[in-house]
Amino acid sequence: MIGRRWRGGLRPRLLVAFVTVTVLGAAAAAWSSAGSASTALVESSQRRLAEAVTNQVATIAPGLTFPPTQDALELLRSAVGPNALVTRGDLRAAEGLDLFTDSLRDAVRTRSRLVSQRAVAEGRPWLLIGTPVMITAVDGTRTASGIEVYVARDLSAVDDEIDGMARTAGLTAALALPFAVLLAWLAASSVLRPVRNLRDTARRLAVGDLEARSRPEGSDELADLTVTINEMAGSVQTSMAAMRRMQADARRFAADVSHELRTPLSTLTAVVEVLAMTADRMEPDARESAQLAITETQRLVTLVEDLMEVSRFDAGTAELRVEDVDVTTAVRQCLRARSWLDEVELTAPAGLFARLDRRRLDVVVANLAGNALRHGAPPVRVTVSATADTVRIEVCDNGPGIPAHVLPHVFDRFYKADTARARTPGSGLGLAIAQENARLHGGDLTVSNLRSGGARFVLTLPRDAGER
Amino acid sequence: MKRIFLAVALLASGCGVQPSGIVDSGEAPTGVAEGTTLYFVDARGELQPSVLRTERLGTVSEALSLLLSRPGQDASRHTEIAETSVTRVVVTTETGLIRVLLPLTAEDVTPLGIDQIVCTALGVHVQSGGTRTMKVRIRFTQTTPASEVDRTCPLIR
Repeated sequence: MIGRRWRGGLRPRLLVAFVTVTVLGAAAAAWSSAGSASTALVESSQRRLAEAVTNQVATIAPGLTFPPTQDALELLRSAVGPNALVTRGDLRAAEGLDLFTDSLRDAVRTRSRLVSQRAVAEGRPWLLIGTPVMITAVDGTRTASGIEVYVARDLSAVDDEIDGMARTAGLTAALALPFAVLLAWLAASSVLRPVRNLRDTARRLAVGDLEARSRPEGSDELADLTVTINEMAGSVQTSMAAMRRMQADARRFAADVSHELRTPLSTLTAVVEVLAMTADRMEPDARESAQLAITETQRLVTLVEDLMEVSRFDAGTAELRVEDVDVTTAVRQCLRARSWLDEVELTAPAGLFARLDRRRLDVVVANLAGNALRHGAPPVRVTVSATADTVRIEVCDNGPGIPAHVLPHVFDRFYKADTARARTPGSGLGLAIAQENARLHGGDLTVSNLRSGGARFVLTLPRDAGER
Repeated sequence: MKRIFLAVALLASGCGVQPSGIVDSGEAPTGVAEGTTLYFVDARGELQPSVLRTERLGTVSEALSLLLSRPGQDASRHTEIAETSVTRVVVTTETGLIRVLLPLTAEDVTPLGIDQIVCTALGVHVQSGGTRTMKVRIRFTQTTPASEVDRTCPLIR
């Protein structure tokens, strides 16, 4: 049984098919030629033996006493050789095997011609020849003399010859086998080389090398396929390039916009600061408006700063300033600076050092804690822990948690979970920036809901971010 | 693969001598006869076959020797070959032609006598299984134009 593994590859399949066809063809040709040759051989030897008997009888017949005596029959019998029987009426001269059937004798009597029959006896093939001896008148009419001659001739030699031919035919078919294997191998290689090239090209395309192409060889179906794949790769490359260009344009636009807004915004900030200093002396209505302007200006500043930060991430120009940081202290300082220490339960081991960007860590922790305080419900817990390679900062709140349909989008830019509650103090970029910061360190930021309700953000950072 | 080889082996082994039915394989041999047919001339001057009971057909040479020994003549038939003490006749057979060398001169035989010799020779030839279109060429002890003629028997055509 040929295993399943064998049938798997294209090369073994081609090989098996090719060899099968060749061997079957060779065997069929050998069989038919050996068959016709053996038929011809048997027939010719049969004819030769029959003619020999006719000649032997015809040579001795003119000298034979007629009507024959027992002696005459013995003479005739010895003339045709061993395994013979000569009869006339009741007289009978026999020697050797008597293989002659009644049907053969009937045929000799009724047909008045020489007849023959092949038979197998004692494990050997025989040719049985039977013939009457005729009397011919001077005018040519023939009548039976009553003498009948039966001879058995051994066909073993012919059989051996046929066996030899069959063996030779089989050997010839077997000799075709190595050539078939060689040809099949070459054919398989010629088919498989372009296929392998195509596979390599497809693999390079898959890993992002859009320049990858295969050179089409010849003008067969594989060449057509190669051309088609090349065209496909070409159009993918074109659309990818267009998409990248558009993306780059969009990013540059955002960067340009935020950059252009910065200058007027710093002027505006200065004005608002002046306004803030004089607000106390204003009328209550005017003060309220001034407060609103101050708040919105601060939001605008935050938004522009966040936009610029995002632009830096997109442009790949965000820099990681790695230093030795006591993570516990850094987190505590972050919370203290924003006066959140009273509202947040901080659990952190003392003296946990890591090589990180202190500013970015501060941004992320502030964002996560701020979100928890703003959207969740107390108690908000910040838990710092570490393994040999990583630092883990977990921020949990006790609020309603994040709806399941929102979970996959919390890190999207400007994603609003609740469209009705559009105005929040944040820029809508906080979590996106936090995640970018975590990834810049080679870590990650993930979100899930606690079983007790409440959201849980987990920041994972490597102990040595500079190693990347 | 194994199965293919098995099939090939089976096919090859089926190619040997197989038993067959009874088939016709040609003419039966001939050549036995109760006697030799000699040709004589009857009272009206025509050739007549006459079987001499020798209990065998014999050869052309034997038949011609018998003819020259002039057996069994009576009123109804006679021979037109002159008497000779030497009855030995040399006969050679080649394709389509029997050559007969007689121990006689051309004067010892009449034309009917020559027909006697030709018919007797052809008769034995035909009875031995030979063809009826055979020609006979007779040579005498002396060279004569009659020796170069290919003859046939008027009774065997």
